[in-house]
Formats: sequence, C-alpha cells, structure tokens
Amino acid sequence: MKLSVQLAPHNRRGLLLNNPVMTASGTVEYGTEYAQVVDINRLGAIICKGTTLTPRRGNPQPRLAETPSGLLNSVGLQNIGIDALINEKAPIWATWLVPVIVNIAGERVEDYAQLARRLEGVAGVSGIEVNISCPNLARGGMEFGQSPQMAAEVTAAVKANTTLPVIVKLTPNVTDITQIAHAVAEAGADAISLINTVSGMAIDIAKRKPFLGGISGGLSGPAIKPIAVYMVHQVSGAVEVPIIGCGGISCTNDALEFIMAGATAVQVGTANLVSPNAPVEVLEGMERFLEREGVEDIAQLIGAAKAP
Amino acid sequence: MPGTYLLWVMAPEIASEAQPGQFVMVRTSEGYDPLLRRPLSIHRVARGEREHGALALLFAVVGRGTNWLAQRKEGEAIDLLGPLGHGFKVDPPPRNLLLVAGGVGIAPLVFLAQRGIAEGHQVALLLGASAKAQLYPAHLIPPEVNLLVATEDGSVGRRGMVTHLLADHAPGAEQVFACGPISMYQALADMSRKGMFEGKSVQVSMEVRMGCGRGACYGCALETKSGLRLVCKDGPIFELKDLIW
Repeated sequence: MKLSVQLAPHNRRGLLLNNPVMTASGTVEYGTEYAQVVDINRLGAIICKGTTLTPRRGNPQPRLAETPSGLLNSVGLQNIGIDALINEKAPIWATWLVPVIVNIAGERVEDYAQLARRLEGVAGVSGIEVNISCPNLARGGMEFGQSPQMAAEVTAAVKANTTLPVIVKLTPNVTDITQIAHAVAEAGADAISLINTVSGMAIDIAKRKPFLGGISGGLSGPAIKPIAVYMVHQVSGAVEVPIIGCGGISCTNDALEFIMAGATAVQVGTANLVSPNAPVEVLEGMERFLEREGVEDIAQLIGAAKAP
Repeated sequence: MPGTYLLWVMAPEIASEAQPGQFVMVRTSEGYDPLLRRPLSIHRVARGEREHGALALLFAVVGRGTNWLAQRKEGEAIDLLGPLGHGFKVDPPPRNLLLVAGGVGIAPLVFLAQRGIAEGHQVALLLGASAKAQLYPAHLIPPEVNLLVATEDGSVGRRGMVTHLLADHAPGAEQVFACGPISMYQALADMSRKGMFEGKSVQVSMEVRMGCGRGACYGCALETKSGLRLVCKDGPIFELKDLIW
C-alpha cells in the first residue's frame, strides 16, 4: 500500500511525505514537547507554530472561547521569533526523520521575504508554510490573504528568497477563494493549504463586552469542517498545485473526505489539543481503510469525489 | 457541598506519578461538544492496598462539561490525560506547612496535606466557604491536619473570609499554599504587601481557561513579573510574588 505523497512536484528539492497526515500550525508548538508524547516519526510532517521576525507576546486573556463543536481563539501569534527558532528548535528537528515545515507570518511583504531568507539552508527545515491567513494580527496576516494581488506579492517575495518548497495557507474569509488560490499558484506556490480559521466573535453578556481579549478571533474544530471540505473541492478544481486540506479534521473519515474532495494531504489541528495522538490515529485508520477497500495507492482517492 | 462532586477513578499510571498541585485534562463528552477537555486538580491519591491506583477528582458543576462528568456512573470509563503541570514545591526538611483553601479550592490541597504528613511535615489547613453546607467535609481531611474553619455567614467556625485566619497562623508557618478564587489571592497579595509573609514562599494554584493543558496552544498565557507564562505548563502553581494583581 502506498501512502507517500509529493507536495512540491515542480520544486527542485521536492517535499515527499511518507504519508499525507501532518499537524496543523499552532497546535503542537514546535513539536519538541509533542515528540515526548507522540511517535512523531509516524507522521507525514510537522508544521510548527506561526513564526515572525521578532518574538511576539500575543493577545491578552481570554484567548479561547469554546463554541458548539468548535474553538474560537485569539492567541495572536505568540511566538519565540525566527532567531530562537533557528538556534534552539531547528537543531532538534535536524535529528528527526519527520520533515518539519516552518509557518511564517508577517506584517509587511518584506517581513515574509526576510523570514524566507533566514530559513534558507537551515538544517532541519524541509519547507515553508506562508501564513497569509491569521485573523489575529492587527496588520498584515489575513489582509494579505484577502487580496489576490497581495497574496501573489507575498508568495513571489518568499519564492524569490528560498529554494525550499513553499506552501501558501489561505483564509476562508474571502468572497472567492479560487481567485486567491489562482493568484498564489501563478506566483509560484508549490502547494496550497486551506483553510485557516473562520473569523468569529463571542460576547460576554454579563459584561456586555466582547468575550475575547483580542475582540474577535478565529474559529476552528469540527464546526468548520464542511466549509473547509467545500473550499478544498472548489480550489482543487481551479489550480494544478497540490492542495493540503485543513479545518476540523478529527478522525480518519474526516481526512478521507478532504482527500476525496481533492486534497493531496491533510493537517490535523484542533483535534491535537484534545487528543495528542489524533494525527497518528487518523493515519492508522487511513491504512485500514485502504486495506479494506483494496486501494493500493492513496493517490487513487485524491479527488475521487470529483469524478463524473 | 451541593453542586460539588467527588469522583474516584482507577488510573494507576497517573496516580503513581502525580504530585500535589498537578492536574488532569478530562474529556467531558463522547463526541465533539463540549470539544475541549476540562482541567481538574488531582484531589487525592488512594493509599490502601485495595484502592491502589485510584485517584480522586473534586469539582463543582459550572457548565455543560462538568455537568456531563457529574452524571457518570460507577463502572463507566472516562478519558484522562495527565498528570500535567508543575505541582507545589515543598522544601525538604520537615516544616510547618500552612494550607489555605477557599471553597472548591480545597481540591489540590487535600492531596498536598496527605503527602505533607507522609513526609513528616506539620500541616495546618485554613478552610473557608460561604456557609456550613458548602464546606468540605472535615472527616475526609487526614486526622493529623490541624483544621481551622471560617464561613462567610458564620454558620460554622470563625465568621468571615478564610484569609482572616491568616493573622493568627501565618507567623508560625514556613511555607504557605493556597487555592481558591481570585479574590482570595488578591487578599493574600494585599497581606503580602503589608509584610504578613515576609520572605516566605506563598504558592497559589491559578485557573485560566485552557485549551490543551500541555503547552501547545498558548491559550492560557498569563502575564507575570518574570514574563509571559503558560498556566498549564509553567504552572498551575505560581509564587504569589511573581503574579501581577
């Protein structure tokens, strides 16, 4: 049975994963503590916490609000910054079998270019995921992912400064996600991941104020899965580059929905917070499914639901 | 304690490793709603041969998650992750430990009292609640503990807040450990500023909305005097003097 997938077929380095199951950014920190509780080498890839040029403190409390089958967060990209990532985390990643992809975020196009430049040649880094979809930044972030021109500009700036495979992570908070997908694919993205969180808000009725310290936040978890599956279905018909599906995947069946909708790989996110072993369980269930259905190569399932 | 539940679970691996002040993350649904686990302090660990491997959780029903948990019946299985976080730090030579509990904040302190006595410390517990009915049952507290009670309505013990008992008992203690509502910690911080604890370690258990309980999601970040800390991973026990009020 073949589970391996190539996420950057046109990149000189390529991004070949042993299997299509990864962890989503922001749900396993830098993977180093996660590696103590989960057999990470079973996974296709680890995507680390969104990282900026300088350390960020993130947003005030409360940062989390639970919603029916969902989680609203306004963590605000609290992170250690690119220097600490390169000096403290990458050397650990370099000893792992599992590829690590660094998620980068910025406020200006030049931030993304610099981040890409810094990561060039760093041992332990196998790819870049460009976050143009974080709803919890005052400037930049999601703004870049809401305009095809800006999204293309950021993508081109990253591509011009790296030989690493580049994945661009899209926001669902747009009128037509296929336009953005087109723009980043044209600008050279090797792969596209979608979706980041759906913008949302909760009100504290006792205080008559927004519940979250960051006022609004991003919704994740099972509640957003149908939105994500539909967007993967739309985008996979619109662009040629591989799609990585993300949004509320909690079990194998969820992951298979994304793959049949057109995703080449998947990311498990919020489910990690509840059950750290969820990605491994998604993978094991996938292996059983392929065996049971007599499918020899996961590629046979990619976009299966799109066939006439 | 109406609305408060004591749940014993067999969890030998967690029970054998657990330190007082640590917590477990408990799933409170079979599906995705409620989605997140709930952090609960480890209340006590069974010592008897027959109950070996059991641990107790003490919790108040505050929402749908804890309500689901309160309805579990004997023999059912629940899903726990733990032990998590850093527990109370008790200095090694036998000393006088002073424990201060407000309401259901007694939860981690019974385990600390158990362990403290086993390690040869003298343990005094200041136990407070709004009224007699809300007071943790005295017969569940290890008999070696010097128990002092305060209720806000005066229905038992001294009338007033549990922190009012501190003036008499803080001077004789080397270390202070507290768990209760934020207002109780604010009172402790006030007393600390007035020199009540002069240089003594005062450790408090913080409660903030948590996502994962393992330092992965950064949902429970807390601003402290030594920078941003995660309650789940760096805490939940903090030195009172490191906290900002």
